[in-house]
Amino acid sequence: MKKAFLVAAFLVVSAPPFAGAQTVDLNGIWGVASLPPAVKPGQSVRWLLPLKGTDPNGDDVFKALDRIQVNNRAAAPNKPEYKPSLLAKVKELSDKQGVLDPAFYCKPQGVPRMGPPSQIVQTPGQLVFLYGASNLFRIVPTDGRPHRADADPSYMGDSIGRFEGADTLVVDVTNFNDDTWLGSDGYFHSEKMRVIERFTRKGDVLTYQATVEDPEVLAKPWVQNARELKLSTSKADALMEAPPCVEHDAPHIVTLEHH
Amino acid sequence: MKQIAFGAVASLLLAGASLSAHHSFAAEFDINKPITLSGTVTKVEWVNPHVYVYLDVKDASGKVTSWSLSSLGPAAARRAGVTRANFGQGQTVTINGYHAKDNSNFAFMRKMTFADGHSVELWLGDDEAKK
Repeated sequence: MKKAFLVAAFLVVSAPPFAGAQTVDLNGIWGVASLPPAVKPGQSVRWLLPLKGTDPNGDDVFKALDRIQVNNRAAAPNKPEYKPSLLAKVKELSDKQGVLDPAFYCKPQGVPRMGPPSQIVQTPGQLVFLYGASNLFRIVPTDGRPHRADADPSYMGDSIGRFEGADTLVVDVTNFNDDTWLGSDGYFHSEKMRVIERFTRKGDVLTYQATVEDPEVLAKPWVQNARELKLSTSKADALMEAPPCVEHDAPHIVTLEHH
Repeated sequence: MKQIAFGAVASLLLAGASLSAHHSFAAEFDINKPITLSGTVTKVEWVNPHVYVYLDVKDASGKVTSWSLSSLGPAAARRAGVTRANFGQGQTVTINGYHAKDNSNFAFMRKMTFADGHSVELWLGDDEAKK
């Protein structure tokens, strides 16, 4: 009798959380804007990448693009806080971002810079995150297993997930390499980085928020701004293969402007 | 000729981190060096982070010079409705753009105009800001 009870208790503890059926359903394409119809060959098209307040024919639009993005980031109140001894390094990397940012050379932006997945496929015991813009994927076990000990450090790290309440998934990511930045302004990190991602679904809106812990370089954890992603309901929004990344620009970069 | 004009759609700059990281155009191209090139499109390379067009330009003596031109990224182009088929592979075109700061045979392509007069322009700015 006692033995049977212990076995039952073990089963309860080790059963995948998904089996409880009280977990959030994250299946779907999230935050991906519908595409307009393709322009027929032979038809004229004129389209401007929006640069508010910049005359497309009179202003230096190249400089305006850099200025607007740099100013927007500078004005954003929520930035990672580095240890004082590392501020000079952050500034130097930022000043040379145009040639030093690893993402410029077709390397993955990595977690968390790559942002939330564009599609989530949820199965009992694991989730698959698909990143349509870069043809990348992540596997997130939710069966209670620990981080794996046999993997090399990587751009997207090693993920394990657990469900919290009826509407939230929490993903714990470790084992990163240090070949990614957290953002364009020289925000480097160490291999000790740990990222906690929270996915909370309310109706057809998924809120994504990442928190970056890196005691080697950050003075305190960086809680990124939450992002809201709308569930796509159009079959036309199915992810397509993204073009590969082929870098031709590096030899032509002659000045250090960046955006 | 039917003109499709997409206005200020939701700002791509704020669309999120899924866009690939881009080099600064200002670090490569000089807005004060506008350039016009006429020739044959030998290849359209539909890749991230920027689409490339390769153009063979023949001078009066018949000598051919090969140019490469960078455009916006493929995701931005697609949001304008533009696909690879709109970039005229094999066709004779005139391209307006801006020369590279390093003066190599490399430029940013602003507009491609075809022999029948239709054109594809992918550019940056705000029409409301005209001076």
